[in-house]
Amino acid sequence: MKYLSQFFDIALRELDIIIRKNHIYGFCMVVFPVLLVFFFTTMLDDGVPQDLPLGVVDHDNSATSRALVRNLDAMQNSRVMYHFASVTEARCTMQEGKVFAYLYIPDGTTAKLLSGRQPRISYYYTMTCMTAGSMASKDLKTIGVLGSAALKQATLSAKGASKEQIKAALQPVTIDAHMIANPQGSYNYSLTTVFVPGILMLFMALLSAYTLGMEMKFDTGKEWLARADGNIVVAILGKYVVHTLVFLLVIFSYQYYIFNVLHFPHQGGVWSIVRLTLLQVASSIGFGIFAFGLMPSLRMSMSICSRWMVLGISMCGSAFPVAGMDPPLQAMSWLFPLRHYWMLYQATVLNGFPVIDVWFHLVALVAFMLLPWFVVGKIKNAMLNYVYIP
Amino acid sequence: MQCSTMSIFRKLKEHVTDVLYIWWQEMRLVVKDEGVLMFLVVVPLGYPVLYSWIYNNESLHETPVAVVDHSHSALSRQFIHDCDATPDVDVKYYAQDLDEARSLVSRQLVRGIYLIPSDFASRISRGEQAVVSVYCDMSLMLAYKAVYQTAMVEAGRLGAGLSIKKAGNFSAHEDAITAQPLLVDDVAMFNPSGGYGSCVLPAVLMLILQQALALGIGMSAGTARERNRNGLLIPDDAPHYHGAYRVVCGKALCYGMMGTVAAAYLSMAVPRMFSFPQLADGWTLFVMLLPYTLACIFFGMCVSSLVRYRENVMLLMVFVSVPLLFLTGVSWPQSSIPGMWQGVSWLFPSTFGVRAFIRVNSMGASVSQILPEIRILWIQAAVYLGLACVVYSYKKYMARRHSPSSENQSN
Repeated sequence: MKYLSQFFDIALRELDIIIRKNHIYGFCMVVFPVLLVFFFTTMLDDGVPQDLPLGVVDHDNSATSRALVRNLDAMQNSRVMYHFASVTEARCTMQEGKVFAYLYIPDGTTAKLLSGRQPRISYYYTMTCMTAGSMASKDLKTIGVLGSAALKQATLSAKGASKEQIKAALQPVTIDAHMIANPQGSYNYSLTTVFVPGILMLFMALLSAYTLGMEMKFDTGKEWLARADGNIVVAILGKYVVHTLVFLLVIFSYQYYIFNVLHFPHQGGVWSIVRLTLLQVASSIGFGIFAFGLMPSLRMSMSICSRWMVLGISMCGSAFPVAGMDPPLQAMSWLFPLRHYWMLYQATVLNGFPVIDVWFHLVALVAFMLLPWFVVGKIKNAMLNYVYIP
Repeated sequence: MQCSTMSIFRKLKEHVTDVLYIWWQEMRLVVKDEGVLMFLVVVPLGYPVLYSWIYNNESLHETPVAVVDHSHSALSRQFIHDCDATPDVDVKYYAQDLDEARSLVSRQLVRGIYLIPSDFASRISRGEQAVVSVYCDMSLMLAYKAVYQTAMVEAGRLGAGLSIKKAGNFSAHEDAITAQPLLVDDVAMFNPSGGYGSCVLPAVLMLILQQALALGIGMSAGTARERNRNGLLIPDDAPHYHGAYRVVCGKALCYGMMGTVAAAYLSMAVPRMFSFPQLADGWTLFVMLLPYTLACIFFGMCVSSLVRYRENVMLLMVFVSVPLLFLTGVSWPQSSIPGMWQGVSWLFPSTFGVRAFIRVNSMGASVSQILPEIRILWIQAAVYLGLACVVYSYKKYMARRHSPSSENQSN
């Protein structure tokens, strides 16, 4: 009973700091996360980049080449914005960043095509923006295939082949693609769901270290501990229950927004989302407290948290896969909470696979949650004896 | 007449002395403060190396897939064999049915499934269209592309081989025309291997420069304010700190020194160390980096006036780094960024610094081709310089109005 009243006393004290005394908490807990969700969901609203600006160098200038260009323009991802007089001009425009790709149709293409002399068209695309480059190259590739197919089709129908026969002759083997859980291939589904949680985890860890450091900076740590009668466990639990609840609220509203309003795919169902969120909040706060306990200095612990968590966004392997990194880095990826969060997310929430298949990532997150256990003594000592040096 | 010239000269000398004095003072402060030094030296030095290491392998090879072969024919085996032979895909498991393959995906052992139906070979023999089903795990875009595109390409090749057989041509030339009447050259420029690192890293390098400067300047300003007994950014009683612009210039000289070294290291040494594309010539780089570094410094000064405690700048700047990377258009094409965010992106030097650097460094653009970006960077540098002066003199004015020690630091 005594512990409980101390616990509530400290929680109220923390709530008072968050709401009234230091406004940076309000910003980092509510304002920035809302901005962040708004930023990513509106930025990636298209899902897939559409109408990428492309250019065409058409030296052939025949009905066939114009049909090719029209087909290209009609594709969802491409828009023909420029007609260039020469390849040099096209390349310079690309270097100015105005087009992502261009199609070069040399003189005599149609004549060679009709006389069966295998003409060659080229497409050039820049891979300095990979999303745009690979999208543009996909459309241009399709155009090339269609160019070949149009001729074969004309020949076959002249010979009297049926529609089915033409289809089979043009493409004897076809691919029936199933893009599980993200049928549109939307980047919104794959990027927002890792960057927003990643930055939220950064905030959680940073603020956990920050709140301890501020106690030390303004020398209120002794008073904080006194309220718990020197019991550091009660003091920490009371302090962080407020953080946990606020962040849980924020993350659940974010998830309500993306899953219920924007209809992001979530085959795992509600329970998998709730489980993941609880682990996410607990492990990040645990990491923040641990970082402070490791180096009881406001600045150092915050530096560690911010660097580690920002690095985690690269190391979680959602953009560049961990399997493609050097072996030492693959091993190191285990030390980043976001890596485990993302593995759990994509397996249990996105794809709806059983959690037992990724149990080791769950255990890892629980381990991050329990990390502060090793340093509570050190934190108490720091609060009682250390002096803040700016 | 003589007298007034003398006084102008004396005044000028006084100004220069003041600026140099502030430069020296700021330099001492920076070198002594390990928190600031960390951001101005360790971050620009260490971070790029770390990121380069992460992305060093550039592309994903041998993505594991599972195959469910219900056809058990020579043709299906040939298809599987062809896919396995590509650099991108590794056929790692043969599963009995789709459920077994699905459990392999669930255990993260494979990233995709190729399902070949039982009528695969017989349909081809009957002259009908055969279908291969590809199931992709969409959690990794790179893996999805590898799994899907490999199947597409190999299906096309298998099909071309079949049509050649059927055509009954006499010469190899005829065969080639049957397979592909229209040849298509596919040229990836400026990053021919399509490497992830070569694409993202130049942007990260420039962003690091801005973030390191903003964080360093913000932290040192926060320290100055916390050390000052009235909580002021500029000491109101110190001898050389008269005009706001002197303070701004003196500080800018100090951070300019560190910024130029960091900029040179980031733009010239790091890409070379990890052999990322580097087409820039020195002069173009200089023309581009000079306004960028200046804009970053003055931008950092403006940001630093927002923070009350030295640590808060970290909360502010770290959080914007990922959105800023997006606004540059390196991972999401610039043409697809909504207009509202395009507008917001104009506030940050990194947007134009990154774009200009990618064009210069990875695409070999000349000064004239990045002129719009350079112009905007100069405008940003000028505007943020003006803003910094205004903010600093406002702070000084506010400090004078409040009598000393009335401004009480709570919390």
